[in-house]
Amino acid sequence: MAIRKAQSSHWHQKVILLAIFAVLGTLAAFLLFSGKGREKQSVVMERTPTGTAQLVSIELLPAMDGEMCQWVPASATMSLRAALQQERLALLSQGVGGRAAQDAPNEAARTEAAQRKHLRMIRDPYSAFASVAVDPIRNEVVMTDENLFNILVYDRLENTPPTAALSEPKRIIGGVDTKIEFQCALYIDPKSGDIYAVNNDSVNTLVVFSRQAKGNVSPDRELETPHGTFGIAVDEEREEMFLAVQHDNAVVVFRKMAEGDESPIRLLQGDQTLLADPHGIVLDLKNDRMFVANQGSFHRHRPGPALEGGMMHSIQGKSNWPLSWGNAIPGSGKMLPPSITVYPRGASGDTPPLQVIQGPRTQMNWPTGLAIDAERGELYVANDMGDSILVFSTSANGDAAPIRVLKGPKTLIKNPTGVFLDEENGELWTANFGNHTATVHKATASGDTPPLRVIRSSPLGEPFLGMGNPHPVAYDTKREEILVPN
Amino acid sequence: MAHPQIAAFARLADGNAKPTRRIEGQKTLLGRNTHAIAYDEIHDEIMVPQRLAQAILTFRGGANGEEPPIRVLQGSLTQLRDPDRLGVDPVNNELYVPQTGKILVFPREADGNVAPIRVLQGPDTQLGANAVAVDPIHDLLIVAGRERAVPDSTRLMIFNRTDKGNVKPRAIIRGPKSGLTGLGGPIAVYPPRGEILVPVRGPSDNILASDTDFVGVWSIEDNGDVPPRWTIGGPKGTLVHVHGVALDPKNKSVIINDKRLNAVLTYYFPEIF
Repeated sequence: MAIRKAQSSHWHQKVILLAIFAVLGTLAAFLLFSGKGREKQSVVMERTPTGTAQLVSIELLPAMDGEMCQWVPASATMSLRAALQQERLALLSQGVGGRAAQDAPNEAARTEAAQRKHLRMIRDPYSAFASVAVDPIRNEVVMTDENLFNILVYDRLENTPPTAALSEPKRIIGGVDTKIEFQCALYIDPKSGDIYAVNNDSVNTLVVFSRQAKGNVSPDRELETPHGTFGIAVDEEREEMFLAVQHDNAVVVFRKMAEGDESPIRLLQGDQTLLADPHGIVLDLKNDRMFVANQGSFHRHRPGPALEGGMMHSIQGKSNWPLSWGNAIPGSGKMLPPSITVYPRGASGDTPPLQVIQGPRTQMNWPTGLAIDAERGELYVANDMGDSILVFSTSANGDAAPIRVLKGPKTLIKNPTGVFLDEENGELWTANFGNHTATVHKATASGDTPPLRVIRSSPLGEPFLGMGNPHPVAYDTKREEILVPN
Repeated sequence: MAHPQIAAFARLADGNAKPTRRIEGQKTLLGRNTHAIAYDEIHDEIMVPQRLAQAILTFRGGANGEEPPIRVLQGSLTQLRDPDRLGVDPVNNELYVPQTGKILVFPREADGNVAPIRVLQGPDTQLGANAVAVDPIHDLLIVAGRERAVPDSTRLMIFNRTDKGNVKPRAIIRGPKSGLTGLGGPIAVYPPRGEILVPVRGPSDNILASDTDFVGVWSIEDNGDVPPRWTIGGPKGTLVHVHGVALDPKNKSVIINDKRLNAVLTYYFPEIF
């Protein structure tokens, strides 16, 4: 009897609960669906004073775009550990994981896995021009390509029609035997037409090719350079070759015909030089000056024996070799504003600059390549992140504004990293890393002026990826994005 | 490299895909030579070393364009000399920076001129540290290193996460069977299964490209001359100059950079998740 009474009571409770849920469900359905134009509109109830809290409106959430991400709030650091543990326990319960994926796969599975094809590959199939130089004697223009690792030679007057997919080079030098990868700067010997190309990163070798070189051929000459060398300039009269060294905040000067593991003949390095992540370098031989573009990253060095690590190459027995990471002073790093520093052409040691162009009026934003018109006293700066060519007086000093700026959508200048002045033809060449083009303007052009000619390496409008030596990679789980630094 | 940047691509990006955003420009304080990157999903932050200026930069997870970092770890107290790689432990709020003979550990939120809170260093550590990763589940610090001036001497060292001073590693994976010759780039760890992923440059004389490259998968339980349980992308696969590796557990994918291909490759590899 007691049991039946309890069952009856339990049954009554269930009925009451069901009735309450039914009423609440009906009310909720009414609230949700009774209004017109439900999407993105508020459902507002007429209010009758009751003296108690009331539901007065319901705001529908907007539709979500894309997939929802699993997310852990910033305050819940221990939640991640718990989540990871949970994942591990789940794996354990399935017998597939736990502390150290216990069961080694068999050989067949390993072989299959090693040969498994990738699902996707992000890659730019077109050349990205990093630097440019003209050979006016042979009427050729040469570009380095930091995407596909080539040196490309075109006719100087090549002009890609808007309807054409791209321009084909006359010659391509590329392949593992060439040692070409991140070739960031160029020099063309006016007498021989030899092409000098500097590798900024992966190979500490400056490569020199004759005019006849094409395809996957070994360089005609090689020179070991400090790691992270960027800019090149040559003094033909004295047969000296100047290289700007990013990593070590230095300029090294070699014999022009130096090769192998030959030492530099001069070194400019030290705190007083104000060299800070130097990139482009150019010589004003009329006024005996050397100009260097600095992007601003800086650290100091201490002379003496190198500490452990950091040695990227052998410096045994070399003179005038810059102090490198093994001599870097811990904690001495700084980020300085970008600058152009100007030295006597023959400067060496810890020589301070004669002029420093630096400050907000300069408009510099990652200044990279340099060119000079010594007769007109004008310095051209490829201003990577300004999408511009800045022209300064060679006598500029301090927070000087450029005397003219070539910039705008009609110029087609985008992330310029290389610039070259063809004095013979009065033309300014720009290697636009950001849009697969090299553009030609009059040397005196300014403002938003369209180019005289364009050499394009891809069909119009093809995306520019900008990847170069993608070293690390990360996955942004919140946005489902792959993060790739250069 | 002529143009520094951090580019973001959609997970399903393929071929000549346009980046969804780029972090680039003078105000970002980025420089060339970014050899490590960590995405901290708890705090939604991106961390990279800035080697040329001896700094660690932290950006908002959604940073875009010429956006400055939200934190800059830099200065005389940091001991940062050559910060090339890093590892982040978002659970225990710590940042690890290998510096050849030592590993510096900072509070994750360290900003400005901050000294490390502990340093792993000394002859017993056998460091030569080149890359690090943290397993917060098993409380382990995984270090890839090599002996000074000894080619093909890459090894994996496993420490307790909180080790400091002159401590011996709990385990060392190295030797001819391990295939650990040259280290291609930063390493990754998948804590739920205790797996370590290492980009390995195979035993080739050609520094530019080789079909001996792969990403090897070891276990935190491994010790001694142990071959990888799995190899991804090679040997004799698509990879020719492997660099970095990242994991997308939700989609059971491994993401790998290749320098010579100048490309980012995604492999479906459910076996390790």
